[in-house]
Amino acid sequence: MMARIVVIAVVSTRLLLAGLAPGESNIGAYTWFRYTAEMETDELRESRFGLERGYLRWNHRFTDRIDSRVNVDIYSTDKYPAGAGLKLKYGYLNFKGLIRDAKLTIGLQKSYFGLIYDWKYPTIQKCLEDKEKVIASADYGISLNGNIPKGYGEYAIQVVNGEGYKKYKSLVNLAPALLVNLRVIPIPGITIGGSALFERSGPEYDRRLLHAGIARVVIGPLTIWAEYLGAELGPEGNTTRGSGFMVMPALRLRELTGIDIDLIARLDRWDEDVEEIGDASIRATGGFNWHLLRGKKGKIGVVLQVNWVRTIYEDPDQGPEDAVMAQLRWEFVTKPL
Amino acid sequence: MKGILGLTIILTLAWLPTTGADLTLTGSTTVFPIIQAAAEEFMAKHPEVDITVRGGGSGVGIAALIDGICDIAMASRPMKTKEIKRARADGINPCETVIARDGLVIVVHPANPITSISTETLREIYTGKINSWKDVGGEGGTIVVISRDVASGTFEVFKKMVLKGKRVRADALMLASNKAVAQTVAQTPGAIGYIGLGYLSPHLKALKVDGVMPDAETISSGKYRLARPLFLYTNGKPRGLAKRFIDFILSPSGQKIVKETGYLPVR
Repeated sequence: MMARIVVIAVVSTRLLLAGLAPGESNIGAYTWFRYTAEMETDELRESRFGLERGYLRWNHRFTDRIDSRVNVDIYSTDKYPAGAGLKLKYGYLNFKGLIRDAKLTIGLQKSYFGLIYDWKYPTIQKCLEDKEKVIASADYGISLNGNIPKGYGEYAIQVVNGEGYKKYKSLVNLAPALLVNLRVIPIPGITIGGSALFERSGPEYDRRLLHAGIARVVIGPLTIWAEYLGAELGPEGNTTRGSGFMVMPALRLRELTGIDIDLIARLDRWDEDVEEIGDASIRATGGFNWHLLRGKKGKIGVVLQVNWVRTIYEDPDQGPEDAVMAQLRWEFVTKPL
Repeated sequence: MKGILGLTIILTLAWLPTTGADLTLTGSTTVFPIIQAAAEEFMAKHPEVDITVRGGGSGVGIAALIDGICDIAMASRPMKTKEIKRARADGINPCETVIARDGLVIVVHPANPITSISTETLREIYTGKINSWKDVGGEGGTIVVISRDVASGTFEVFKKMVLKGKRVRADALMLASNKAVAQTVAQTPGAIGYIGLGYLSPHLKALKVDGVMPDAETISSGKYRLARPLFLYTNGKPRGLAKRFIDFILSPSGQKIVKETGYLPVR
């Protein structure tokens, strides 16, 4: 119900404001073409090309204080006869100027949790919390998010459905989730932060508490991300606890070689239930991002990403899995607003 | 521990920009003429030094500093909180140096009989409420509104001081540099635009704003309200060649260049 109200509110407000003030818009397109080869215990299981993801984005600025974004996510799937799916990923309005350097965001928006809300896919894989489906990258709700003065960090307080952007109506429970996020940059090059999501009840559990701690260190061309992730699901006394971490160093070679390449390594571990033996996995990733063309202000224009991923399972009966992925991403925006 | 320290030193040294030039400056087209003239004089005094100066706008310069592809960003507006945050997150500590002062000059074609305009009328022209020169005391004809694009610091300052945050009308011609605005207004009888003081020429007519003509005296005294400082941003306090160059700009010789290029010295 809440999701429907939010969507109707966003669409109505958008139409109303568009009628009052034409404003200015830009559009963007984001396309990911990927080759994937998957092997299980050295046996080739899959080898395919696919257009894994395409986004169409429409940003519109009504006034300096009100702007909006609509993102449509297009993806390949065998679920439908057409071979493709379509989802609304973002649909929100920003109201600025209520508090200095902050905005009130209403609608289908980013989940301000851990690394998920500003994950730029330095590896082809999603970030840990997204990959392990601990939290969705977007959700229906309201947030206050802003910057700490003098560039010392950022914060967000958010009330959302808690079930993510793919779940709507019958799959959404009665209790909204409360999400808080804080990132601090005490000295240049060091970012530390934490997020927590609390939900009293869900469709599959009675209580959900998610927490994440992040750190990012930049030393010259070397950037190291680290994240701890914890999840507690179920009522007091009968809680399932999951935990994991991710460490990811990236080395920018542009200044060393003149070629705009980043070398990336990544190690993830996720244990869905810490009290159960055999359900954990470790995923190691190595690869590079070759920026063939930078977009406006250094953003992605055309990039070739190549990753090798090995997943090792705690379960002794399950052999290791390998995947080699090569992805060409191209992204553009008509003009900055 | 020694290994980590060694790795840190190697990586930090390796990170120093290698653009071919000894010093690269990128950003504001308002600041550009000062820096270009100063660089030429500095290189004449120090032939062993190679300085590259690129425009693009304040936003582009600041992004280049954050991305490590320039040594000094030129800006005609202060850095925004989100830019400082992004810079700090990426290990860049933006350090600001004011090198000159400038006035935003409202210009029209020399054949235009208008001599003065109020801030409120400017706002109405730029937001689309006034479309004809007749409505502002002119001889009639459509007003051709020329503005800077959104990467421009001059645009941001104009938007803040004149438009009070309101949007520029959709039919305004958004140009990428002060030079382009100056050229277009000089060639278009019905045009109005705004430029940095250094781009004023006999081919343009400067208007009084709220009864005050922009010049060195009115800008210094604060009588002319559309004034602003011009900045250079470095990663941390200027060091080495960047410090030598900035010290030169702030020296009597450098400040003389500031004056000669049409801007106001700060020392």
